[in-house]
Amino acid sequence: MNSLTETKRRPTDWQGAEMQKRIAGRYAAERRFKAMGITAIVLSAGFLAFLLIVMVGNGFRGFTQTELPVEIDFPAVTSGASPSQFEGPNAEANLQVMGLREIVESSIEIQYGREGSDLFSPGAWTSVSAKILASPDIVRQKATVYLPVNSEIDVAYKDAGNPEAEQKVQALRDKFSTGFNWNFLSNSDATDPMQVGIWGAFKGSLITMIVTLLLAFPVGVLAALYLEEYAPKNRLTDLIEVSINNLAAVPSIIFGLLGLAVFLNFFGMPRSGALVGGLTLALMTMPVIVISGRNAVKSVPPSIREAALGIGASPLQVVFHHVLPLALPGILTGTIIGMARALGETAPLLMIGMRAFIATPPSGITDPATVLPVQIFLWSDEVDRGFVEKTSAAIIVLLLFLLIMNALAIYLRNRFETRW
Amino acid sequence: MTDSAKTGMTTESGTPKMTARNVDVFYGDKQAINNVSIDVNMDSVTAFIGPSGCGKSTFLRCMNRMNDTIPIARVTGEIKLEGEDIYSSKMDVVQLRARVGMVFQKPNPFPKSIYDNIAYGPRIHGLATGKEDLDEIVESSLQRAGLWGEVKDRLQDSGTALSGGQQQRLCIARAIAVDPEVILMDEPCSALDPIATAKIEELIHELRGKYAIVIVTHNMQQAARVSQKTAFFHLGTLVEYGETTDIFTNPREEKTRDYITGRYG
Repeated sequence: MNSLTETKRRPTDWQGAEMQKRIAGRYAAERRFKAMGITAIVLSAGFLAFLLIVMVGNGFRGFTQTELPVEIDFPAVTSGASPSQFEGPNAEANLQVMGLREIVESSIEIQYGREGSDLFSPGAWTSVSAKILASPDIVRQKATVYLPVNSEIDVAYKDAGNPEAEQKVQALRDKFSTGFNWNFLSNSDATDPMQVGIWGAFKGSLITMIVTLLLAFPVGVLAALYLEEYAPKNRLTDLIEVSINNLAAVPSIIFGLLGLAVFLNFFGMPRSGALVGGLTLALMTMPVIVISGRNAVKSVPPSIREAALGIGASPLQVVFHHVLPLALPGILTGTIIGMARALGETAPLLMIGMRAFIATPPSGITDPATVLPVQIFLWSDEVDRGFVEKTSAAIIVLLLFLLIMNALAIYLRNRFETRW
Repeated sequence: MTDSAKTGMTTESGTPKMTARNVDVFYGDKQAINNVSIDVNMDSVTAFIGPSGCGKSTFLRCMNRMNDTIPIARVTGEIKLEGEDIYSSKMDVVQLRARVGMVFQKPNPFPKSIYDNIAYGPRIHGLATGKEDLDEIVESSLQRAGLWGEVKDRLQDSGTALSGGQQQRLCIARAIAVDPEVILMDEPCSALDPIATAKIEELIHELRGKYAIVIVTHNMQQAARVSQKTAFFHLGTLVEYGETTDIFTNPREEKTRDYITGRYG
């Protein structure tokens, strides 16, 4: 009989010690989980803040340049040139004829001694040239212009440079001033870090992204719509689906090799051009758009399709009047992710020659171009210390580009968002 | 028992709007409808009743070829709309669905404005000659669906913001707007409360005669209230078809009697 009494169920003791212990354990588990979650968030927010602060701190200096004043007595050195000479189409030629470079160099030597020209950037005279072209009246008078110093001095002034440069900086400490480096926004790549600019790479990125978007978006969306709405469900479409999923996971450098083999070698498209870059990135972006597009199309309620079919809409009308508008927010989300990835991509572009030294911004899709991440990669490889802060500054430009692109896409997505 | 009563062919005068003869429907290997023949008249509301899974909705969806969207569905036999075989290659399925409208179980307005919900059908079929014409179609359709008074001041509001019953009447108005000959209703009240249901039933009464109406329902009281003819389906076959009063008061088949008295279903 003993076994029978044992198997008989006792009434649950909700107040008992064992039960209280279990409750306490449950609360403890909840608290632990909450604490872990908060720790994770604080950690990731901390990393992000650290990254941003370091980058903005370093990158900010890339937007500034150290300058020294140089007094140029224009009427004397140009033997009375009139401002009208520096207007119109011949202005630059006239500056060359006049020997502006020598004029600037001699003015520097007068004020800073024989080794004075070592202080300045080799391209310093071009900023004088730019000033004259902007306001030719300056040649009537004796003017003080601020010219960029060379990168060694720049580094020494902003940070710690080599001992020789530090000494020079010490000697002239009071004379330095810091100006915003407009050249950085308007120039392209150069050998002198004081002369480099981001505009060429920015424009290259912009053109490449436009090529990518124009190709990947329509092809990706149409592929997604066809696969979801029209394609028969059979082995072939299964195979296509698996292939697309695999394609989205292929390392990006492989796409670069594909672009090299197909677009450059087979089709003979111009090397280093934004066209080939855009095509290669479009290949990489398309699977992402197809996958997210298919999910978005799938999530449109079937009742909407039935409603449209039920009043006699053709399958094409169902897709373009109802399914696509409702799926568009989801498709755009996928497109944002794909385009952001394409914008930050370096590896495939190295394979198709977009890592060339590009000193003039591209003006078309076939011109040799480079893009922001490749430019960052190239600068980070430079020996000259002046490139360090330029690299950081370029990273900030890339991030801002990304941010603006995403903000635009999110704005568009929210505009199309419809509830049902 | 006469043969015509069992197969559902009409014997009285007047040509039927839609006729079905020996219809079989297969989903893959499974047969969902077995040899159903039925006539639908212009001047009466026809109700399809039967237990769940008996094939009444399947049969309804054959009548405007909505089953075409299911790849494994296969229909044999003959369904005619005014003498034209709707499964022949000459029949344009898009036009067929405009002529044979459908209202679904769950209200499914488009996530667009009330106006656009109604105007969509006339727009794609080119039924309106201009803006005023379209406005008129929208107004008359809403009026016939008994919704005009409730929504006339907010035609630009979203159709999905309406209550469930209003949404279903909007869907009926949307079906009416393309000027169909037949309206198929697939359990139109199953997602609605009793008051909304009463309004829909009232609407069906008013629409009777203007359109041939076929309604699938689980609710036998509803079938008795709204229909003049009733077809009882069981396990994919048409058990009995006749005047609603006869079916409910004096069924010929034992199965029908068992079902309407609530012995199973």
